Amino acid sequence: MNLFLNQLINGLHVGSIYALIALGYTMVYGIVKLINFAHGDILMIGAYTAVVTLVSLNWSAPAALLAAILACVLFGVLIERVAYKPLRKSPRISSLITAIGVSMLLQNTALLIFGAQSRPFPTVLHVAPLRFLGLQVSFITVLTVLVSAALMIILQVFVKASKAGKAMRAASEDYNTAQLMGINVNTTITLTFAIGCALAGIGAYLYVMAYPAVSPTMGSLPGLKAFIAAVLGGIGVIPGAMLGGFVMGIAESLTKAYISTTMSDAVVYGILILVLLVKPTGLIGSLSREKV
Amino acid sequence: MNKKTKAITLNTLAILGFYTLVSIMILTGTLNNYLSNILITVLITIIMTASLNVTTGLLGQLALGHAGFMAIGAYTSALFTKSMAMDFGWSLPLSLVLGGITTALFGMLIGIPALRLQGDYLAIITLGFGEIIRVVIENLSFTGGAAGLTRITRMTRAFSEDRALSSAIQFTIVFFITALIIASIFTLGRSRHGRAIISIRENAIAAEATGIPTTRYKLLAFTIAAFFAGIAGGLFAHQTSILNAKMFGFNKSIEYLVMVVLGGMGSITGSVVASVVLVSLPELLRGMAEYRLIIYSLLLIMMMLFRPAGLLGTREFSMLAFWERLEAVWHRVFRREAKTQMPFQPRYDVWDEKPVLQTHQLGIAFGGLKAAEKINIELMNDEIVGLIGPNGAGKTTVFNLLTGVYAPTEGQVILMGKQVQGKQTHQITVDGIARTFQNIRLFKSMSALDNIKVAFHSRMRYSPLSAIIRDSKCLSEERGIDIRARELLRVFEMEALADVPAGSLPYGMQRKLEICRALASNPKVLLLDEPAAGMNPSETAELMETIKTIRSQFSVAILLIEHDMRLVMGICERIYVLNYGRIIAHGLPEEIRNNPEVITAYLGQEQAQKEAEHAQGT
Repeated sequence: MNLFLNQLINGLHVGSIYALIALGYTMVYGIVKLINFAHGDILMIGAYTAVVTLVSLNWSAPAALLAAILACVLFGVLIERVAYKPLRKSPRISSLITAIGVSMLLQNTALLIFGAQSRPFPTVLHVAPLRFLGLQVSFITVLTVLVSAALMIILQVFVKASKAGKAMRAASEDYNTAQLMGINVNTTITLTFAIGCALAGIGAYLYVMAYPAVSPTMGSLPGLKAFIAAVLGGIGVIPGAMLGGFVMGIAESLTKAYISTTMSDAVVYGILILVLLVKPTGLIGSLSREKV
Repeated sequence: MNKKTKAITLNTLAILGFYTLVSIMILTGTLNNYLSNILITVLITIIMTASLNVTTGLLGQLALGHAGFMAIGAYTSALFTKSMAMDFGWSLPLSLVLGGITTALFGMLIGIPALRLQGDYLAIITLGFGEIIRVVIENLSFTGGAAGLTRITRMTRAFSEDRALSSAIQFTIVFFITALIIASIFTLGRSRHGRAIISIRENAIAAEATGIPTTRYKLLAFTIAAFFAGIAGGLFAHQTSILNAKMFGFNKSIEYLVMVVLGGMGSITGSVVASVVLVSLPELLRGMAEYRLIIYSLLLIMMMLFRPAGLLGTREFSMLAFWERLEAVWHRVFRREAKTQMPFQPRYDVWDEKPVLQTHQLGIAFGGLKAAEKINIELMNDEIVGLIGPNGAGKTTVFNLLTGVYAPTEGQVILMGKQVQGKQTHQITVDGIARTFQNIRLFKSMSALDNIKVAFHSRMRYSPLSAIIRDSKCLSEERGIDIRARELLRVFEMEALADVPAGSLPYGMQRKLEICRALASNPKVLLLDEPAAGMNPSETAELMETIKTIRSQFSVAILLIEHDMRLVMGICERIYVLNYGRIIAHGLPEEIRNNPEVITAYLGQEQAQKEAEHAQGT
């Protein structure tokens, strides 16, 4: 039972990081219908910024976090403006390939600058593990779950209640109509990328606190998993990303504990496939049917 | 020697010349092992890219797990040659076929559930399957687990003691398999099957309504792509001699996808060019190893920014012409010149019994909302009937019920005495109901002629295999429908526009073409959904004439939805009026015009009363 609970908590930990990254995918997809393959590499940029500012520049942990967020936002917005914006009217697959190109570019540039070897991430939090009900839970886990949950609630409120959030939802339904209502679609899209990337920056920081190794390709796997999480929950839907992230994380850590470490990916993809077959739009996605 | 034969000779010489030149270079050692190995990789990549282009380019479905198929073919083929105590000259071809078939089976198995999904969801599910294949291979014992398979017979070593000779044999095998596969994809792509597949990409709903069994064709395209990928895998296994599941990960699938898009989706020659460039480019840049991938990715981004449709778009290089010519020569040489026959007889005996189409208490509920209920419509032979009603009355819903786009929740649709409700749209189309759409749904990038040919699909019989070898059955049927399709265009005075892509036709022409396409499926009942929408009065007048011509020339019953009352009153012999999903009136145009209930439905209670008072006053 303890093993099970421990794995459940581990799953929540990883899951909430997936969820944070998944939000970036889901928001961008919701508004520009683009699978932003470079999003995982934004995570990598955040992680490198954090490690460089912390270790080489001797900044404090909060300052490094802030730097990571800023770097992610900067890159995210830049990529959107330079690489994606010109392709908004092209076939969607062109922007998909561009995203793949951007991802490769970021990874290889990082490889050139930082080398292939991974850098250790220093311990920034020296807090003893918490104990309750006979379980030992690391403080990082608690922090990660709480921070992610709080961010998601804030984001949900922002999108539902604020003016900018309404603009996002309107633009995701129909650019042209949104424009006719006086919404600046370009700004709205940029804002969407900025928010998604800021979350990736925070996610990066939480991720390297749990897995303290920073390398040029570190973003690919969590990126892919987070993307799967977004689809699992229902892409384009914010609570869906959260749910998908948790389901992924928990499924993954339970498989690793009870079935096999190497099979955990297969199980995760298996769940994804089953969910999509039963409910083609993800767990809480809504169906939009083409009108005849 | 005419121009045509000259071109054939030139092309044949080019292909054989390339083959001979490279073979000699390998035999003499001018092309060393390293270079000839790259060449083999290019050829295998061409197969992978071209086959992925069948799903992604021709069918228009994004697939992200193509490397998974390659893995299945590679492992099947390698395990076969490793375990069979057979001469390699026999076991290799057998293993390739086996690898292809096994992969095709997997493709079908995965395709059946996966193809129910669309767009990005299909992409994700193929990604998932691709990864599962990789992980499963990594965890099975007979595939060598994580360590993979080693000591698979190398083609460069197997055929002869002489390394160069063996290398040349390898090149021969891979080159001609590649050429054969490319040729098959070409011939298939230009057959009725290819048109069916492309029509799904262009507009799936219209394809279904034109009589294309879309699910079956999606599956066919998917299976064919898997089959070829399996063969490529088998070749790859015997090129490298070691296999490892990691070779076939997500990144590999992405690599092939990049090539398809860069070459141009739907352009097979584009895939060939992109494979050549993208495989050799990193090799050329090997000198600056550090910057190699950075340059590569920058080129990729630039390419997409400045040529989003890829190198060739959907166009083809002259290879296409070459193959057509080659088979022309084939038929000339072997005197297999097919007789031009007209394989199509009118399918229906004259249906004198009345009515041709009839509905009984037809209805559908979406959740609790009854969008249509108790619809009773009768259509006699050669009759033009109008279906009118205010916006949102449920007119298009009735069309969707008649054509099986929506399955009715109650009632029956009886077409020439047989119940058709509950059938799929394409079956109903074949049974004899064709339609047009309110918002035009043409296969935009296909030519006007091809749009019509798609509708002839259900009346053609030749198989995918005869399409690939272009046998006499295929050729005679194709020739037959070419004539028929042009005849049909001539009736609508559009024969000059036969080769124009449907999407670039003017609006009025597009409407006409859609009607033309509907007629090509040889319907007994034609449903027109707002044919005059967006037309000016003179165009509408012309349309009225066209509709009358259609009725007399094609002997169909026509049911039309229209808001233009001049058109409705001018040509409809009877009219049904729909409001809130029910038929509120039915009769001759004159009766409908003066029916108070109809006036109320259109103008509202108050206004209708005023009108009535006004009418009494005068």
